[in-house]
Amino acid sequence: MGEVSRLLSGYGPAFGQALLLTWKLTAVSFVPGFLLGVAVTVLRLLPLPPLRFVLTGYVEIFRNIPSVALLIFIVFALPDLNVVIDYEPSVILTLALVCSAFTADYLRTGINTIPGGQIEAALSLGMRPMRIVTVVVLPQALRVVVQPMTSLLIALMLSTSLASQVPYPGRELTSLVSKVANDSAAGMAAFAVAAAMYVATGLLIAWAGAALEKKLRILR
Amino acid sequence: MSRPLEDILFGAPSPRARVVARVASVAAAAVLLLLAGGIVFQFHSAGQLDARFWAFFAWPTTWAFLGKGLLGTLASSAMAAVIALTLGLVLLVGRLARTRLVRWPSIAAIEFLRGTPTLLLIYVCFLVLPSAGVKLSTYWMLTLPIGLSTAAVVAEVYRAGVLAVPRGQADAARSLGLTEAQVFFHVVFPQALRYIVPALVAQLVIVVKDTTFGYVVTYGELMQNAKVLIANYHALVPVYLVVAALYCLVNYAISRASRRLGEPMH
Repeated sequence: MGEVSRLLSGYGPAFGQALLLTWKLTAVSFVPGFLLGVAVTVLRLLPLPPLRFVLTGYVEIFRNIPSVALLIFIVFALPDLNVVIDYEPSVILTLALVCSAFTADYLRTGINTIPGGQIEAALSLGMRPMRIVTVVVLPQALRVVVQPMTSLLIALMLSTSLASQVPYPGRELTSLVSKVANDSAAGMAAFAVAAAMYVATGLLIAWAGAALEKKLRILR
Repeated sequence: MSRPLEDILFGAPSPRARVVARVASVAAAAVLLLLAGGIVFQFHSAGQLDARFWAFFAWPTTWAFLGKGLLGTLASSAMAAVIALTLGLVLLVGRLARTRLVRWPSIAAIEFLRGTPTLLLIYVCFLVLPSAGVKLSTYWMLTLPIGLSTAAVVAEVYRAGVLAVPRGQADAARSLGLTEAQVFFHVVFPQALRYIVPALVAQLVIVVKDTTFGYVVTYGELMQNAKVLIANYHALVPVYLVVAALYCLVNYAISRASRRLGEPMH
């Protein structure tokens, strides 16, 4: 315990900033990732075989590629193709792409829980297919996927540790721990503090997700 | 399950809708081909299609080296999976124990290992433990953290399966005079396993992805060997593309196999 308080007196503000940066990276990659995932899901419903084929490939690739491999490709290989993206946007782009693929996959599963009779009913009322998607299908699918999306958000939060793999000027929690471990003997204490922050954030997200789920759950 | 939802949505198109769909399909295909052409052109204008960047993929030694990396990846993944499956069971039994003295530490361990990034645990084994006098080989510096953090997730997956087994099964087993251990290991747990095969395999995909961190500790897995190849041939783009494709293939194969496994069980 003494070690932790000594660490916090020296690195306290740095840990605060690192936690904030972890939260920021999580938020700014989750929102576009989620929206992109919704867009991919809707586009995959359209009766356009070439589009479906390419988007299925998109989802399978970004679901199965290790995020580190994707990040390293974006940061170190894309400049060889004359595409230079700064470090922070690279991290956000990586996380958003992976997030969008998982979102699309979960939403598809959510859509599969909707009884076909609802679609037939809506069609027989004279609704156009795209209106059915936005009014009948998506709202229900989104309510079903609250729990998997919560897990995805927690996984994304933990994945922001990837930012430690690029020479990124800001320090999120994992890169801060590796810096402290390199500079001083307080590695264990730094790890304990960072782990506590990660766990607390994860529990917070899980609690919020459970509350949302309780409110939105569809009983069938 | 009847027809997929999109088939119902667009199932009975009018002649006009059919024409619109066909035109839109062609337009979409044209745009996507244009996009692909643009990417190829970008490769070409950046000189990444030069033979010197790709020629070494024709040599068997390159593939032998990448294959060795893939074996390293699989060796680490397999051991991490074994650790996760066994330790996960231990954590589960602790989590379900009636005594608080056992249950609470188990819950704490699960939440701690689940809520900490695997990369951070790897850094601890790599940077912190050596200064505390614990020296691990690079294989264990990679495999142990992955196994530990996966074990916590697997424990929760197991628990979901155990809770899904109807209570009557355990009650019936007890009324036949089985001991608590027999009830759990002979009746409840085997049935729970059947519910969670898909979730366990999904976890295996995550394990394979996590072994990518092997390059952090310089353990010779696929990513690390890719870095060595790149250092030798200065061919960043081709090597990373091939390696990414290999990872995708392995993980896609695992997912497909799980779909096969999952079906006849239900």
